[in-house]
Formats: sequence, C-alpha cells, structure tokens
Amino acid sequence: MISDIVNVILCLGNCVLLVNLRRMRLEKCWFCSSTVYPGHGIQFVRNDAKIFHFCRSKCHKNFKMKRNPRKVKWTKAYRRLHGKDMTQDSTFEFERKRNRPERYDRNLAENTLKAIKKIDKIRSDRASDHIKNRLKTGKVQRQKEARKQLELGIHLVKAPLALAQDSSLCLPKIKAMCPKHRQKRISPWKSEIGFAVPRLGIFVHQNLMHATRGLNYQEVFYVVSSGLEF
Amino acid sequence: MIQPQTHLNVADNSGARELVCIRIIGASNRRYAHICDIIVAVIKEIVLNTPLERSEVIIAIIVCTHKELKHDNGMIIRYDDNVAVVIDQEGNPKGTQIFGIVRRDPSIVIVFRFTMGKDTIANIKTSIRNADMNRKGTIQIGYLNKKSKLS
Repeated sequence: MISDIVNVILCLGNCVLLVNLRRMRLEKCWFCSSTVYPGHGIQFVRNDAKIFHFCRSKCHKNFKMKRNPRKVKWTKAYRRLHGKDMTQDSTFEFERKRNRPERYDRNLAENTLKAIKKIDKIRSDRASDHIKNRLKTGKVQRQKEARKQLELGIHLVKAPLALAQDSSLCLPKIKAMCPKHRQKRISPWKSEIGFAVPRLGIFVHQNLMHATRGLNYQEVFYVVSSGLEF
Repeated sequence: MIQPQTHLNVADNSGARELVCIRIIGASNRRYAHICDIIVAVIKEIVLNTPLERSEVIIAIIVCTHKELKHDNGMIIRYDDNVAVVIDQEGNPKGTQIFGIVRRDPSIVIVFRFTMGKDTIANIKTSIRNADMNRKGTIQIGYLNKKSKLS
C-alpha cells in the first residue's frame, strides 16, 4: 500500500532530498504461509497487480513451477485443507491484517507485545493438542494391528516347543544375573575335580581345596596364582 | 537486466506501445539496466494518432523488470514483464498518465526525482495515492496537464 511509504522531502535551498522511510510489515509467504521477515525472500508483482510474497527460494521456485500449494504436502495450505492442522480458533482473530496505522502509544505497544507472547503460546498449545488428538486413534489402531501380526507370526519369534509349553504370546523368560548381586555373592561352580569361580577366573583343583578352605576369594586367588605345588 | 534488443512495454499514454532498447545511458560499456535506469530506445509499435512515430528514437526510463531488483533495505521485488516510461531529454515524462502496477512501486517516486519542484513530486504522490484509493488503474501527472484535475 502506498500508505506504507512516508516520503520525507527536505528542501535545502535548491537541493531536493528524498528520504524513503518504509514501514515494516511481516508478510505471509504465499506458498507455505510462514512469516516473511524484512530482508528475507522475494516479492513478485504480477501484471494484475497481485503481490506474491515468498519466504525463500524453495517457495518461489515451486510457484514458478506452477504448483498448487494446496496439493503440496509440507505447506500450511495443504495441512489446513486436509485437517492436519487447526483451522478455526479464536486466537486467529488476533492475527488478522490491519491496514490502519496506529498512532504510537507506549502503553499500547507494551500491552501488545505482552499479548502477542501469550496468544502465541495459547495458539501453539492448542495446535499441538489438535495434532495429538488426531494421532490418538492411530496409536490404538497400530496396537491392534501389532497384536494381530504377533498372533499370526508367533512361530517366527518363539520356538514351537516353547509355544506348546507356554501358549501365551510372550517370549520365554531367561534368567540373567542381576548386576547388584555380583559384588556381594560370587557363586562358585562346583564339579568333581574342583571348584571354579568363573568371574574371577579361578579354578581350584580338588587337591588344593583343603589348602584354600576357609579363605576368601582374594586369598584363594593368591594361593592359586602363586602356583604352589601341593 | 535490460540490454540492447530487449523489448519493453510502455506504461504511459505517450503513444508508444512497445520499445526496443538500443543503449543504456551511463558508463560507456554498461551491460544491463534495471529499474530507474534510463535507456535509449526505438519505438516498434505505436498507438494511432499520437505525436510519436514508429522507429523513432526516444529516451525511456525503466519502471518494471522481470529480473529482481534488490533494494537497500533487503527487499527484493520482481515484476511480470519489462516496462518503461517514455521521457524527454530533461527527464520529464512525455505522457500524462501512467498505467498499471507501476503506480504501486515505491521507486516510482524515485523515477520522477529529477523533475524539480517539491509541489510536483507532491502532486505525483497525491495522484498515486488517490489512484490507489479509488482503485483506478491510472494516475495523472498534474503539472503536465494543468487543465485536468488530479484524480
């Protein structure tokens, strides 16, 4: 709009100076609907005087390719059209384009800035809630499908013998050593020949057993590693 | 990026319809012209019953280009076609009306910066603004045609 331009003409004698003060306005990209900040993007003025703002060359190039933003999946236009994003909300009323310039009022400016922050937060919360609700039904659906797939394909995961024993869809339980107990109790492995403590890497032959009786594992280790012959 | 052999449309009622750029005024070997640059052009097509003739060499100022113009404030603007306005040696427009989207460009006032006189520029600005408000496609340059009213 021409009202955007304030041309200040300073007449100094014969010299005429023209100073162009442009009012800043955040536009919406025509293609993806993101905000175009000053200094970014390209504006295209068509012959019928319609102005297209683009936030970046991606949008600009898509426009030149004559793509319809309502069909291009990553644009806001598509998302709103297909119900992916929130379309109707009272917070959108605050963002409508106003063509009347407001006289600067410090309080008004301050309140507006505070309001912008708050409204933005409310709007983004509502938008994310909208998306969450939309995705809820999908989660339930996926659980159902997963269960069905498990029922059909249980033979891929669980051995038939195990299935015969335990017909539930859970995998057989494997008992593993709990890391907490390792420090407290190292259970030795006994055999006819002697006993071994695998974790410490000790094997005590039965001939040595009388020598190591009553000793703790550290001492046993010393006895064994010293290589004394008994 | 207007260069010799570029065809340009004309956005005023001077009588020319299409121009072909011959030369760019400025440095001797200047390659390209942008918005607000002055070119020497030859008239290829005219509107009947106007003072201008076909294959007449005139001077024009470029008002719209298809190539983007980068303003100092970071704004980049591109138009749909290449348009010029016919001017004379002093820099006064030969026509009395300017058509089309030219009126919306902020540089249009720069176009007429060399027409001296504070009131002249004010007249042009007022007529642009009025044209805009009335949504008319044309503006009238008041100082040239003293009889007509500012629209």
